[in-house]
Amino acid sequence: MISVKDLENLVNLARIKLTDEDKQSLVKEFDSILGYVDQLKKVDVSLDAEGRVGAVRNVTRPDMPAPVSSEDRERLLNEAPDREGDFIAVKKIIAQD
Amino acid sequence: MKPDLKTLTIQKAHEAMKKGEFTAVELTQAYLDEISKKNSDIHAYLEIFGDALDSAREADKRFKAGTATPLTGIPFGIKDNMLIKGKIASSASKMLEKYHATYDATVITKLKKEGSVFLGRTNMDEFAMGGSTENSAFGVTKNPHDLTRVPGGTSGGSAAAIASNMALGALGSDTGGSIRQPASFCGVVGLKPTYGVVSRYGLMAAASSLDHIGPLARTVSDAEIIFNIIREEDWKIHGGRGDGTSTTKETHPSKRIGKKKPVIGVPRSFLAMGGIHADVKSAFDAAEKKFRDLGYEIKDIELPSNQYALPVYYVINFAEISSNMSRYDGIKYGLHKDGKDVVGDYFETRGAGLGREVIRRILLGTYVLSSGYYDAYYNRANAVRRMITADFAAAFESVDVIITPVAPSPAFKIGEKVSDPVAMYLEDIFTVTANLTGLPALSVPSAPAGSLPIGLQLTGRHGDEQTLFEAGKDFLGE
Repeated sequence: MISVKDLENLVNLARIKLTDEDKQSLVKEFDSILGYVDQLKKVDVSLDAEGRVGAVRNVTRPDMPAPVSSEDRERLLNEAPDREGDFIAVKKIIAQD
Repeated sequence: MKPDLKTLTIQKAHEAMKKGEFTAVELTQAYLDEISKKNSDIHAYLEIFGDALDSAREADKRFKAGTATPLTGIPFGIKDNMLIKGKIASSASKMLEKYHATYDATVITKLKKEGSVFLGRTNMDEFAMGGSTENSAFGVTKNPHDLTRVPGGTSGGSAAAIASNMALGALGSDTGGSIRQPASFCGVVGLKPTYGVVSRYGLMAAASSLDHIGPLARTVSDAEIIFNIIREEDWKIHGGRGDGTSTTKETHPSKRIGKKKPVIGVPRSFLAMGGIHADVKSAFDAAEKKFRDLGYEIKDIELPSNQYALPVYYVINFAEISSNMSRYDGIKYGLHKDGKDVVGDYFETRGAGLGREVIRRILLGTYVLSSGYYDAYYNRANAVRRMITADFAAAFESVDVIITPVAPSPAFKIGEKVSDPVAMYLEDIFTVTANLTGLPALSVPSAPAGSLPIGLQLTGRHGDEQTLFEAGKDFLGE
């Protein structure tokens, strides 16, 4: 149902390095799993009275800064694979040329 | 007096410690001794905490001071996807093998307030994806009743710990049956509470609209005691609904039908869908008869949309997982593998850190959410999810509890289903509906003595765990 090229597109979107062998077997597994969930296509969803996503909705708290102790800040920063002072370090994102 | 772990319950342990028959230190030591005898074979725990006896000493002070509460000094196993500040929480993934939790999950805060003892972190399927604990990056857990069989999953370590007397209480998480199915396979009690009643703060997210935390224990009474401590007082504030309003499809405990005993519903045509192991069928028939003998009224009910519950569940599960798993990027915390640039770091880190089932679900979720497929899969799954919920609401107009098996078979052999994802997914046929609807569901042991454990599932109205405890205790003669 899906090609290796389709799968590669998904792999790139999801940012996961896979071997060619992995991709081949995933294509086969996709076929059997999607073949199974495809039975959804025959459901008459007109029976769904609400007819839209959002009958139950998320309620979020206000996006406000929360106080963090210096001890907790240290704990958080120490979990980062690479830190410089009070920052989490990453590779350069924009090249200089 | 030495605690007899084989017959101990939370209530008995509490009374014994109160009377001074044994101390919390002696109780914790008894469990640690059992763990050192059995854990190398069963592998229920990924790590035993070095400070368990320190917590037990603190608990003994509370007993001396007369300030002990029901869970003071009670030794717990905690699933590896819940955060205990300062301790490793890996979700049984290489991605988080060395990650130390930076804060306490709400359920942990509540147990700490009680003065409970944490024995260690229990094994699970990586990031709570699977049904057998075979997807742990750190080795499979074995079923204490037969070491060649799986304990179920994803909370397999928690269930196996209870079943082998390596913990008196345990916490698990349940996204599609991950508390109830291992409880069924290991012969213990497991509760998936109403959605939102127990805070998920500090639980690693798998599929957020389906995730729940709940207790595993030896008896229904023990599960009830734990539930009453970890639950939120006003669950509507913490639930997905949150705004204090309810939808028309919501069911309510106030509408109870059975005046003396709850009325039980059996969805016959759903059970007849096939694929049920003969032993599970006969255990179910025996359970139904037992309820009749106990004086319960039993009614046949219809849940017509339930036949689609499993494909609906998996589409929503994949979609939410693909979104939640994007946080593992090798930058903020967890594993990091170097690539040629920052995007290369993502590819290398995620390729090395995530296991096969996790990758499969991320990719399937990316597929069902992609432009062109979104309506056919995700929106359609949400519509059918509402239809399933409406079916249950209609059924709860005439019954108080719905009974089904927990899983279509008893514990299967290690390795039997690992190469066939769809066969593994079919394990969840009876459990996913409670996650899709948010209804509470309890698994209680129902197999005849001498055979492999088989669970019976009792599903109730939103917020009505009480009726499940009542019927469950009646069923087990507690």
